Amino acid sequence: MKILLALFSLLAILFGAPSFGAPARADEAPRIAALSWEPIEHLLMLGLEPVAVADADDYRAWVVRPTLPESAVEVGTRTEPNLELLAQLDLDLIVITPLLEDLRDKLERIAPVVSYGDFTQERDNYAMQRENYLALAERVGRLDRARATLAAMDARLGELRDRLHAHFGESLPAVTVVRFSTPTAVLVYGPNSMPRHALELLGLESAYDTPVSRWGNLQLPVTVLSEIDRGVVVHIEPFPGGERLFDSRLWQGMPFVRAGRFAGMRSTWTHGGVFCVLFLAEAITEALLEIPPTAVQAAGGSDSTEPAQ
Amino acid sequence: MQAVATNTAPWKPTHLPGRYLVTLLALGVLAALHLNLGMTHWPLDRWSLRPPPAGTFDALEFGLSVLPRLTMALLVGAALGLSGSVLQRMTQNRLASPMTLGAASGAWLGLTATAVLAPALAATHGHWAALGGALGAVGLALLIAGRNGSAGLPVILAGMALNLLLGAIATAILLVHNQHSRGLFIWGAGDLGQIDWHWVQWLWPKLLVGLVLIALAPRPLTLLQLGGAGARARGLSLWPVMLALFLACLWLTSVAITAVGLIGFIGLITPNLARLCGARTARDELLYSALLGALLLLGADAVTLVLNRWFSELIPSGAAAALIGAPALLWLSRRQLGAEDRQSLALPPGAERLDRRRLAWLLLAGTTVALLGLLLARGPQGWTFGWPSELLWSLRWPRLLAAVAAGCGLAVAGMMLQRLLRNPLASPDILGLTAGATLAVVAAVMLFGAGQMQLIAPIAAFGGSLLVLGLLLVFGRRHRYSPGIMVLVGVSLAALLNTALQIGLTRGQGDALALLGWLAGSTYRVEAGEAIVLSVAVVLLVGISLAFHRALTLVSIGDGVALSRGLDVGRARLALLLLVSLLCAVVTSLLGPVAFLGLLAPHMAALLGARRVVPQLLLAALLGGWLMLVSDWLGRSLLYPLEIPVGLVASILCGLYFLYLLIRHRVA
Repeated sequence: MKILLALFSLLAILFGAPSFGAPARADEAPRIAALSWEPIEHLLMLGLEPVAVADADDYRAWVVRPTLPESAVEVGTRTEPNLELLAQLDLDLIVITPLLEDLRDKLERIAPVVSYGDFTQERDNYAMQRENYLALAERVGRLDRARATLAAMDARLGELRDRLHAHFGESLPAVTVVRFSTPTAVLVYGPNSMPRHALELLGLESAYDTPVSRWGNLQLPVTVLSEIDRGVVVHIEPFPGGERLFDSRLWQGMPFVRAGRFAGMRSTWTHGGVFCVLFLAEAITEALLEIPPTAVQAAGGSDSTEPAQ
Repeated sequence: MQAVATNTAPWKPTHLPGRYLVTLLALGVLAALHLNLGMTHWPLDRWSLRPPPAGTFDALEFGLSVLPRLTMALLVGAALGLSGSVLQRMTQNRLASPMTLGAASGAWLGLTATAVLAPALAATHGHWAALGGALGAVGLALLIAGRNGSAGLPVILAGMALNLLLGAIATAILLVHNQHSRGLFIWGAGDLGQIDWHWVQWLWPKLLVGLVLIALAPRPLTLLQLGGAGARARGLSLWPVMLALFLACLWLTSVAITAVGLIGFIGLITPNLARLCGARTARDELLYSALLGALLLLGADAVTLVLNRWFSELIPSGAAAALIGAPALLWLSRRQLGAEDRQSLALPPGAERLDRRRLAWLLLAGTTVALLGLLLARGPQGWTFGWPSELLWSLRWPRLLAAVAAGCGLAVAGMMLQRLLRNPLASPDILGLTAGATLAVVAAVMLFGAGQMQLIAPIAAFGGSLLVLGLLLVFGRRHRYSPGIMVLVGVSLAALLNTALQIGLTRGQGDALALLGWLAGSTYRVEAGEAIVLSVAVVLLVGISLAFHRALTLVSIGDGVALSRGLDVGRARLALLLLVSLLCAVVTSLLGPVAFLGLLAPHMAALLGARRVVPQLLLAALLGGWLMLVSDWLGRSLLYPLEIPVGLVASILCGLYFLYLLIRHRVA
């Protein structure tokens, strides 16, 4: 029952229901500035609207979910937020990431500063964002709500997993998430990237192994995708000029394309906070459900025309 | 390559010299290597000269990716080599090439602007924007250099200045719209990767112009060697022919750039290498340059493929070309730059003297503007007028102080360089001192990550600019500090820097953007302590420079005069150069590169009438600081709440004014 309630409130936030679940914005609501996108996401999920955010327009264009209200004041870029503007906004708290750690002295003259870790290969990024979320919730006194939203997220992930099993049966396909840069270059999301965490939480294995990298993705020539002969490839849309690649004979000859194990997923941010993993998992599931189970079961057999390397 | 270089059989019209055979042989071997490296599934120890069996993915990859890539490398290499050769013959300038004339940065700006203004158009037709940008930039460079300047250093200097200016504008656009398109950066770094024959089929008919060039260009080019008058005497209508040749060259370069992106250095080095291998006549040089260009780019691309495997990450082909090209260029210039080339660009003459009245007015106007900048600011509720609150002031004064100190320092450094090298276009940015410092910082950030940047940057910047100074001194001594060699170092380093930046941009997200911010010359992160240290250092160094004013005056008149007055010219020059590089290092390590300020402030001082060393130095320093103050205000106010780095504003502001001065002088 509690989970259902939490799930409902989560949905309400996602679809931007204005007042549901959030307390009435009274004078006591803390005035918080979020100078990176992960804290923006976390604050919104806690039902707090940040007063000031960095790169608001790009957040609306790239991160999209959860929706950032129009009332948030844009304070410049995430690398160089406008300090003088911040100083004039009468803030109670500034949330930063290590990227701005060297500005701490200046920021602390404006308001108390809290910093939460960002992407690294030394730690599990998903676990860290989860901790960041809880720590921020504790700081603003909304731990209950944080736990509820996380529980709702876990429940939702379980539901997505069930849908995948209902579609594919007992064994799920191995999946790799990519984003095309140009018709010849592709970003492959590897270990400790948020898409990979989403895959793991859905119980999906990785179809292609790349070395570890700082941001969790590597840029590779498109032809390396041909090494994937069993798994499914999901690409993050949009890919302007995609027909150039998708119509080419080379692409049509890729093992996973010939076998129909390729799908596009709707545009989703890949370097966000803890809930970006949920949004990724939802988009990945949606994309995978488009793939007929027969295409994946065939790959399990031995009818692949490609000799394995 | 060694085999090619040693074979210098004289050209006989009756048969092809041996070096053609050797080059063709090398091309064959390299092609086999390239094909093998290109196959994703072929391990390095499994070499094969047979195409893979039909029906497999390997066969598809071989036919649709690896072979087109090889063809593309050959076509583009030949086109770049040929156009470089014609351009160098035509201008009789060993340093002429599309890259040194500003085409590359023009193309980059064209594409960046299109990508930001019309993203949909950029994805499909962005290449034409690049072509337009390249044409515009080279046209401007030639306009600035004028008819007589195109043969010498002036056109290269103009190209260099354009490279800096257009690059700064492109950076500004990218900083403002920082959620970038990765495809843009890959193209910017030059990627030869292919997925079908589309681009090859697009490119090859357009390169047929090259064959016409090889057939028809040698005669006019040979006549041109006699000089304009001589050529006309032999019945050559000079201007139509020059124009046609020039357009053909730009066409070849532009279509090649359009197909694969920016690939520098091939057009610059190939003709030099061809001459080194013994190509003497125009026809020989053109033909051999085309062949050699193909070989060079194929080699660079083979290196790229090896790097791709090594790092298991996409490395752009243009990067490998530049990594090989920049040192090769320095090596070539060391061997070949003998003749003195003291011509330079001319700026309009200004007032003869600086009288008291004019000075008083200047000071009054300057102070008023500076005060207005302090009092007038944008806030959350719109414009405000009044002294900033204590908190705001504590956030603002360190950056103001740092900007002003940096402006003074760069202006003095530029002024001393111009006097030392007797070259009105000398400045820390054009000579590569800034680029060297920046390059060292970029390399350090790539090695150690952006996290440690605050710690490493000053040390790296200092090391970098000292290294460039060392290079300048080593090369310079041999060539008596000829401006040519100095500028070459600057060109090479700037191109290397650009490449490093492009690689960083194709790879990174956060790191690259942080770097981009630093490269734009930002005072944003300056702490109070750092600002004070910088100002003290600048004041000290400027003070020392003032103490050297007699030596500076004598050296700028001429070595002979200086010697006859009992000055140890060598030692004085060394001391002054050291002073300059120290000034550059302290400023760059804190702010990152700021272009044009060091070039322009001394000229503005001279235009206002400060012609002698001490007044020029003081006025230049004042102007430099003032310009930075104004730039800081503009940077804070123009796109509020977004802040544009002060260095970038100053670069664009000064660059545009500089361009205006040059063009006004040319048109007048």
